[in-house]
Amino acid sequence: MGDSTKSLLQRIIRRIPSRAIESTLRKWGRLTAEQLQSIDFTQPKWTVTQELLDMCEEGNWTLKFITELEMSYIIDNPNQGMWYAYQLMNPEDDANSVELTQFKEQFKSHLKQLVRHISLKMKKHTDEAVWIRIAWGDRFFQPNHMKPTYAVHYLQTPYVFVTSLTSKHKPLFSQAMTLSTRYQAIKDANLSGRNLTAIRDLLMRQFQQAFPTKHPSPLAERNQTVSHPRIEKEQDGNAANRLELACEAFGGGTLPQLQSAVYKLETKFRDQTNKAMTEREESFKCIVKFASTNLLESLRHCASSGFASTPVTPLLSSISLKGKNYFVITDNSPGAASQPRRAQDK
Amino acid sequence: MERHHNSVTKTPLDRVQRRSKSKSYRQSLRSCLGATCLTPALTTRRLNISRRAPKSHNITEKVNPEQLALMVKTEWQLSYVTPLYQFRHTQLKSYSRQLSAFIAAEKQQGLAVEVEGSHGSFRVSFSVVQGMSEAADDAETVLIQIHLKRLFSRQDEPAKVVWSGLLTCINGSPDYLRSLPKDFTCLPLLCSSGAEGLTSAVKSWFQQTFDCYFGQLEISHTSLQWMIALWTNCQTESAIQFLKMIWTLPVVPPLKVTYTVNGQDAWELWSSVRKDPQKEGNGEDEDENSIDIEEVMRFMQGLKSHFYRHFRLDLSAGKLDQVSTALGSAKCSGMIKISNSKYMISTLTLLTECALLKMPI
Repeated sequence: MGDSTKSLLQRIIRRIPSRAIESTLRKWGRLTAEQLQSIDFTQPKWTVTQELLDMCEEGNWTLKFITELEMSYIIDNPNQGMWYAYQLMNPEDDANSVELTQFKEQFKSHLKQLVRHISLKMKKHTDEAVWIRIAWGDRFFQPNHMKPTYAVHYLQTPYVFVTSLTSKHKPLFSQAMTLSTRYQAIKDANLSGRNLTAIRDLLMRQFQQAFPTKHPSPLAERNQTVSHPRIEKEQDGNAANRLELACEAFGGGTLPQLQSAVYKLETKFRDQTNKAMTEREESFKCIVKFASTNLLESLRHCASSGFASTPVTPLLSSISLKGKNYFVITDNSPGAASQPRRAQDK
Repeated sequence: MERHHNSVTKTPLDRVQRRSKSKSYRQSLRSCLGATCLTPALTTRRLNISRRAPKSHNITEKVNPEQLALMVKTEWQLSYVTPLYQFRHTQLKSYSRQLSAFIAAEKQQGLAVEVEGSHGSFRVSFSVVQGMSEAADDAETVLIQIHLKRLFSRQDEPAKVVWSGLLTCINGSPDYLRSLPKDFTCLPLLCSSGAEGLTSAVKSWFQQTFDCYFGQLEISHTSLQWMIALWTNCQTESAIQFLKMIWTLPVVPPLKVTYTVNGQDAWELWSSVRKDPQKEGNGEDEDENSIDIEEVMRFMQGLKSHFYRHFRLDLSAGKLDQVSTALGSAKCSGMIKISNSKYMISTLTLLTECALLKMPI
């Protein structure tokens, strides 16, 4: 037991960048002021780790202490690994009145009924979010603290965000989640990304959206005199129009940082110049992946600069309008139809 | 005989082309610096506009399996090399000694050669890869390997190969090869794999010894499209499984588009854009299986229009960075991996042609 505590501590410290170690430890609050003072944080990381390991041994820190440290670090730095969004469906009548203590108790008891060896930790964060850390074991093995699942649920909303959940544990997690939130089902929201805040904002529509207006906003008058005022005006008009349409499709201002969007196309090949292919019965199967450091901003720029024709196709605008980044497109369901996928099986 | 006859009749045309090459040489240097991008129209004029469809070669029977395995499993960085002065295939043993000594001297000076855990001695081996050359004018392919013998290794421990290089010329333009003065050997394509420091050491030894010049060989937009077409054309013989293309669109921040088409669907699109062989009346001296640049362009157009129909985004505005199928992959930065030895010859033929376009006249 002592060894696994120490190796977990070592592993966590390894993940924390040197400059953040001190603040993380302070926040954790398990070290006395003297202990904190005795550590020289300017030393190389392995020396600091060694000192902490010694303290751990002397102080007989339990696994619980160490998981607390991990959790407080992950809550502050959630963008490590892929987050997947899930949506709860068909609420019971009392779904809206589930509060924290009740949820905590229910979730714990449901999960413990399903899995014998399990280690659970829950914490309410400042912004209505409940953070859940699950270390999974099974009938014969103690919980594995090295690969915990993290889940974030916003109380009174149908949204759950999960990272490092294996397909083996997914049904167990889903069952406990639906029962304790008083919903009947949970489905894959077809949205994933490395930035938790971004996918949350996208799914919960917490970003600046631009709504289509019937009358285009009047252009600001320009004082500049140009050689061809008419051409200039028309071009300005086009550019402004494109920008407006781009913002309608993807949102205005700073956009949630999404890394990729995937489309599985199973549609017929249609091209007037290619008769043979157009007459073909089967669909033309392909997969298209868009990737960028900030996908929505890239796409907005595509539309506003004219790389993409405006108005933007519903396929692309669905990313922000529907809060999804995985789509299956078939001919039967034109537009942005989508089918569930097995998200984390990849 | 007939081949010879052909080349004679084509000579004047080639002259014109050749002259333009020296111009394009400068242009491609500029494109190295990223100043300009070659327009496809210009490139098509330079590259062959028609080539034979890849035939699966029974290369496994001709080439030493060990050497073949190395060529197939490695991802190579491409460079071009100007013709080598007084290079002799009979002197390979002596070259091995000289290059070993050269690298040892470089190392002594503390220059360049930095390989992980390189405490030990390098031993170089040059060997001829028999059975690779296709045309009579092609010089035999040379394989260079650098072995590292660790300082404290056991006696029986075999030396590790830390660098490999392949100097080759497959189906090089006979007109160009014959126009070279005596004493020049043309092996225009260097495929290398291993530590950067060793690559530059090998290059500088070659430059000093054979009075040649090396440059980075990028794979142009058009050549990448050719690869797509040549590989897709193989589908009936060995499945390509998928056709993957990666584009980058110059927006802020840059947008990467990965477009992966099912292998069989890609092939059906390809066969729909092929010319009808019956309609080609003048195909007597043409190889029946020749592929035209127009077919390649129609194929690309088909792929792009399917994409545009869904996303209303024009891929032509972007840059094709990388293409791959189960038969191999190629990147515009000049990295290539050939996964199926059957089609190695046709890929190397295309690359030899690209390298020859860089030759100064």
